[in-house]
Amino acid sequence: MGRVKTIARRSFLIGSAAIAGGVVFGTYLYKREGTNPLLADLRAGETAITPYVKIDAQGITLITPRADVGQGAWSMQAHLIVEELDIDPATATLSSGPASAIYYNGVVGVEAMPIAATSDTLLARTGRGAADVMGKLMGLHITGGSTTVPDLYDRLRMAGAVARETLIRAAMQQTGLPRDQLKTENGFVVLPDGLKIEYLDLAVLAADIEPIQDVTLREPSQWRYLTKPQKRTDVIAKSTGTQTYGIDMVMDGMVHATTRTNPALGGGLAGFDAEDARKMRGVQAVLQITGGIAVVADNTWRAFQAAQAVTCDWGPSPYIGNTSDQFAAVAASFSEDDQDSQFKDDGDVLAALEGAELVEAEYRIPYLAHAPLEPMSVVVKMTNARLDIWTGTQIPRFVQANMAKLTGMDADNIHVHVLMSGGSFGRRLEDDYIAQAVEIAMQLPDTPIKMVWQREEDFTHDFPRPLAIARAKGAVRDGAVDTFDLAIAAPSVAESSLARLGQPAIGPDVAIVAGAWDQPFDIPNYRVTGYRTPAMVPVSSWRSVGASGNGFMHESFMDEMCHAAGVDPLAERLRLCWHEPSRKVLEAVGEMSDWGSELGANRGRGLAFTLAFGVPVAEVIEVTNTEDGIRIDKVFVAAEVGRVLDPVNFEAQVQGGVIFGLGHAMNCELTYEDGVAQQDNFHVYEGMRLYQTPEITVRGLENGDKLRGIGEPGVPPAAPALANAIFAATGKRIRELPLSKSVDFV
Amino acid sequence: MKLTVNGETHEVDVEDDMPLLWVLRDELGITGTKYGCGIAQCGACTVHMDGIAVRSCQLAAGDVTGEITTIEGLGTPTALHAVQEAWIDLQVAQCGYCQAGQIMQAASFLDLNPDPTHAQIDAAMSGNLCRCGSYPRIRDAVKSASSKLKRA
Amino acid sequence: MRALILALILAAPVAAQDIPSRDDGLAAWDEIFAVTSHPRCTNCHVGDAGVPMWNGLIYGSDTVHGMHVQAGESRVGAETMACRTCHISAQSDNATPHAPPMIDDAWRLPPTELAWLGKTSDKVCAQLRNPDTNDGFAMDELATHLETSLFVAWGFAPGAGRDEPPGTLDDMVVALKLWAAAGTPCAANP
Repeated sequence: MGRVKTIARRSFLIGSAAIAGGVVFGTYLYKREGTNPLLADLRAGETAITPYVKIDAQGITLITPRADVGQGAWSMQAHLIVEELDIDPATATLSSGPASAIYYNGVVGVEAMPIAATSDTLLARTGRGAADVMGKLMGLHITGGSTTVPDLYDRLRMAGAVARETLIRAAMQQTGLPRDQLKTENGFVVLPDGLKIEYLDLAVLAADIEPIQDVTLREPSQWRYLTKPQKRTDVIAKSTGTQTYGIDMVMDGMVHATTRTNPALGGGLAGFDAEDARKMRGVQAVLQITGGIAVVADNTWRAFQAAQAVTCDWGPSPYIGNTSDQFAAVAASFSEDDQDSQFKDDGDVLAALEGAELVEAEYRIPYLAHAPLEPMSVVVKMTNARLDIWTGTQIPRFVQANMAKLTGMDADNIHVHVLMSGGSFGRRLEDDYIAQAVEIAMQLPDTPIKMVWQREEDFTHDFPRPLAIARAKGAVRDGAVDTFDLAIAAPSVAESSLARLGQPAIGPDVAIVAGAWDQPFDIPNYRVTGYRTPAMVPVSSWRSVGASGNGFMHESFMDEMCHAAGVDPLAERLRLCWHEPSRKVLEAVGEMSDWGSELGANRGRGLAFTLAFGVPVAEVIEVTNTEDGIRIDKVFVAAEVGRVLDPVNFEAQVQGGVIFGLGHAMNCELTYEDGVAQQDNFHVYEGMRLYQTPEITVRGLENGDKLRGIGEPGVPPAAPALANAIFAATGKRIRELPLSKSVDFV
Repeated sequence: MKLTVNGETHEVDVEDDMPLLWVLRDELGITGTKYGCGIAQCGACTVHMDGIAVRSCQLAAGDVTGEITTIEGLGTPTALHAVQEAWIDLQVAQCGYCQAGQIMQAASFLDLNPDPTHAQIDAAMSGNLCRCGSYPRIRDAVKSASSKLKRA
Repeated sequence: MRALILALILAAPVAAQDIPSRDDGLAAWDEIFAVTSHPRCTNCHVGDAGVPMWNGLIYGSDTVHGMHVQAGESRVGAETMACRTCHISAQSDNATPHAPPMIDDAWRLPPTELAWLGKTSDKVCAQLRNPDTNDGFAMDELATHLETSLFVAWGFAPGAGRDEPPGTLDDMVVALKLWAAAGTPCAANP
């Protein structure tokens, strides 16, 4: 136990030291139920101050360590702090802070455990506690899994409150007034006579005060920002072209680079001829890097042109290279040897299926690319003493560790500056692009280098959402869903991506069955089995991870079972659902969509429900089968997050999730030939465009006992709700994504 | 060659076939205009040439025949264009990377067609991709900007 | 045989006995129609709806232009998104697949009366021989148009692996002249 504390203390010191030169406030309190002895022990001596609020003569800087990849994380983190600190968020500067273990994510690890979000058993609580401890010990400074709000809701408000209270203490020292005569107002301590002392003027005094830990958080009824429509802190910059993304960093003496690595993934570079490229205007160097070449030039476009002019001798991909073979490998992994998990096994599925009239179906989902609109890009500068990295990343501390390994430098000398990301959807949980730029920098020290990928490079070097196959068997009894047996086979995201982060992947991969095994239904005989397909092309997390595809499989089959039983899909789910907040979500979407009302000819309505990341989400989609194809008319969404902290961004995230889910379900797939991704730009990977976008009505429910994030949970039910709606409108059951293989869309 | 960008004339020494996008970003340091696809599939690089929306990844420097306006020239944080105002009021941006292009497309569209139908808004804005899914708000913001401009 | 007829045409003035036969004219028309009905042409020669097509390349058949493009009544997209937003007016090698092709002229759809998409040979034949429905061209003007239009030239050399119509532009001009010389016959009516 002592060691746990030492490690925690040491991480704290590293974290604080990194923010010298200002007064640094913050606190961290464990507020979780203490069944885990580790937690209890930590709490006893743990008063580590963590850096979230910095005040100096220049102003107030709020540290928002979770990356903003479009989900509004910076703005939400800032609002959590200022709600207690009592300043106008528009007056503060936001900073991502340094890569530091102190900014660990204590929630993200839960997703890797077979703990249903709806479970409140001792084991579940212990597991969640362990995730927190693991997160802290491993220093998981990471953004993902829709965890920013659940993880930081208390931590950041506490940091704001401690800072405010400490500033008040400074004002007490300066004025000699007692605590109860002082209050704060928008960045000032207010004295009884109405005089105001600006926070900034108290910074020097406050620096010598041990931060006041004994604070009480405001009651929600006193909130000025939270639960009210917030103005995103980045909205003006993003509407005026003044937001600096990773791709926009400019430095004196900076050169522009791009890379080309073997499009046949993992095939390596046997040799290259850069004679023509080196002669091209502006080209300063053509360098070899791992698996390919880099061109350094005085302009990105010149680097692009020259990179195309290099003749490369690529080796063959070591992976199963063709998508038909990849699917065959997935199909072959439904075997005892490859069984990975069976977290759900209620009743006696085998006995129930014996002799029953079977409903059987097989579903397929493809590889998918992340393709954030900002292509992978990074600015690096390496000197003898230090390496600086400016980019949009969700994993600054892993970047630090991996680049330390790559360069042989001490991690302390590697500084990761996290900039705004032009989208991610999980892509920035990888650091391959950063490593490439660092490889260039190692060959060109002392020069700031901006590396930008061509879009084609981005598509062909993604770590896609894995493909998967589900085999489902079911039986009905007395007009009800009685037996539901779902087997899902897919390559493991955990195995693939954790290896790249230098972390072990222990035990079964929950992602293979996430969004399927953990659904809150009491089906008498209910089993979900995961099979792990041996690794093929490297894969990674994609917005909503395992649930992104498993929602389609589980909810398509649920729809099929309801039809087989001759029961209404909403009524049957309600009958089977034991989880009250989930029931409320289903009821809400039924009411919103006027479920059961007549829609008219050629129209159909589909329902799907997925509980992912602890958020139950139900979606109803209305479609019309027109002469030009399927038109998506309306989408109704009800989602349960415990408390909606910003109704504006909540709606935007849900709508965005629905559009992301629908767009990919409609027309996106990544297929491979000889290990080369065949979709290399948006003309063959379009997703949804504005004209296809339906009216999306969103309702946030607040019946749950925990706060949840909403960046991802809107995605999983979108595809099955659409497929089920198409079935309702046309009688055509589509079991393979993308749907455009089977139907046209308007 | 000479290029007029946001009212300022620049002398640039670039190949005729260098896309305007890269002249703006890497030669002139005007980075509000974004690179997304390079083949006019995404619209992130949209600027105006004499007020008409053009994809700057497709417009070679040597083919620039008019004055260029980028998002920075349309309006600034302290002097917003009506379209930018609408974008801010409705909080359209998520990651925001596509939004400079969306706004430039919308501004040019509303300039030519100040009182568009819903169908026309859909057609005008469907060349611009948004991976985050901000489309419902883009639609609303174009409608709102249209009313603003009519009142103005 | 065709070479002989060509020689006769080119050696104007055309004597009465040199006028190509109706059959020769119809054969020439078939050549013309093979071009006008080719997706490279019908993708833009579309009707009132003003929705261009993307038939060919990887997009299959019966595929409308992506991005919900509507050229509108203006036929240049002025009501929504101008064609030239992407199809820049410029000399270009059009070598990048899936990037918008360009010519040094304002990209636009032909007038609606010149819609060819989905039209039968007889319909297009009747349309093209009549100046009232062919955008006001006399036959010799039409030949000149073919020879000078940057759109037509691009259509025969669209680049980037895009499908080309059968024959060459020269063949097309020759066929048009022959068809004209034969009195612009259409199979359905004389």
